[in-house]
Amino acid sequence: MSKLLEIALGIVTGIGGFLETGSLATSAQAGAGFGFQLIWAIALGVICIAFLVEMAGRLAAVSHHTLPDAMRERFGIRFFLAPLVAVGLVSFLVLAAEIGGVALALQFASGVSYRVWALPAAAAVWLLLWKGTFGVVEKGASLLGLVTIAFVVGAVRLHAPLADVVAGLLPTAPEHDPARYWFTAVSIIGASVSPYLFYFYSAGAVEDEWDEGYLGVNRATAALGMTFGGGIAVAVLACAAMVLHVRGIQVDRYEQIPLLLSTPLGRAGFWLFVASLGVACFGAGLEIALQLAYLVAQGFGWRWGENLRPREAARFTLVYTLALPLAALVSVAGMDPLKLTVISMALTALSLPVTVVPLLVLMNDPLYLGEHTNGWISNAAVLAVSVIACIVALVAIPLQLMGS
Amino acid sequence: MQLGREVLDQQAIDAGGRQMGKVDGIVLELRGDQARVAALVVGGTTLLWRLHAGLAAWAERRLGGEGAPTRIPWRQVVKIGIDVKLDVEAERTPAFRWERWVRDHVIGRIPGA
Repeated sequence: MSKLLEIALGIVTGIGGFLETGSLATSAQAGAGFGFQLIWAIALGVICIAFLVEMAGRLAAVSHHTLPDAMRERFGIRFFLAPLVAVGLVSFLVLAAEIGGVALALQFASGVSYRVWALPAAAAVWLLLWKGTFGVVEKGASLLGLVTIAFVVGAVRLHAPLADVVAGLLPTAPEHDPARYWFTAVSIIGASVSPYLFYFYSAGAVEDEWDEGYLGVNRATAALGMTFGGGIAVAVLACAAMVLHVRGIQVDRYEQIPLLLSTPLGRAGFWLFVASLGVACFGAGLEIALQLAYLVAQGFGWRWGENLRPREAARFTLVYTLALPLAALVSVAGMDPLKLTVISMALTALSLPVTVVPLLVLMNDPLYLGEHTNGWISNAAVLAVSVIACIVALVAIPLQLMGS
Repeated sequence: MQLGREVLDQQAIDAGGRQMGKVDGIVLELRGDQARVAALVVGGTTLLWRLHAGLAAWAERRLGGEGAPTRIPWRQVVKIGIDVKLDVEAERTPAFRWERWVRDHVIGRIPGA
């Protein structure tokens, strides 16, 4: 396949794959609560995740190792356990939130409660993983995810002022509710810098057998895909600022979020929202369930691969077969999808140093990267964002919990 | 060769190119004042021994023979590179015990597996 086509496909994957329940809910909350003021948090998250995705791809292309593989090898079992447990737990929570998102989309469409839809939604994800190949899962999910472009259409129809969007790129201190402001900021960063994204990406690069010839494609894909993807999150925030902030409506229930599209686009907007929520969460659910299986199988050296038949990689298949119904049970039990999402995102931000620093150590090791080790800019950017996000989360999470 | 860095915790690959676990341990043999590698160890309770001796001893008592690791003699180590290639059939070793069990009792019973 030509390199340009690969890059184009990478951008489509970035756009279609970026939005999921986390960035949707946190961007909507940010726009409703603080207008355009928190766009900088999306930008910061996008820069950080673009660097991380590029690193995971470079590691796979140069060393032919996936991330868990290389970590286990480089750090030994003791130190590998920390990122394994942290990434595993956070991914499981985010998976539960995504299944809640699919179930909620089905509730919007049918009127039947999300608690009823959670298990069927998880079963549908499982069936696609059971039957599908890696290409189907990755490309199918992101192509369908293009429906989320509806938010850009919505923002344009609402005449979101470009000057305010640009001004929001610059971090500013909040004029009111500082605790909620910083909590929302770290939730946004947690939603953008979800570890499943770069862990999944590294497994994908190994499944697709990348070599050093892919380094250029990898860089372009990571930078452009994540930037365009982040653009969708900014559009969600802009819609929320124009529809909810001006009316003084806070997002405290997911049921308020369809307004973002039904206000500018009417009845069609409502259905576009339902499709966006359902498809985006379904796609993310596929990737996270698969990534959990990759993580465990690669960490312990089991046979793995979405292109193998289930019985050829039994333990690998068992991981997602168990994770999906368990994650659905969180919604069946009645955990509010919006709360679940926001808490998962804040915890993701809190765990960033544990999930990200081991990758940075690997990326600076010539034994794995040869002459392609990290430059100081990517090291500094990723380290700064993850440490700051963790510290802010450490302060903001208790404040938020006390407040609500 | 640095055993800790280049062999331990590496991916073990069997003669058919299948992943069969990690190199969880290394058996050294002392002859006079010289140590040489006798075997590589895959699976079983080996990993637990490296994490927590009490837990490992308990697991070994509980599992009995089921927890016994697979020892691969050094002469069956074909190549050490990105992976450690071994001249054994994973299917026939105890290292594949759980894989086989999950396949035969759980995954293999679901239609379409």
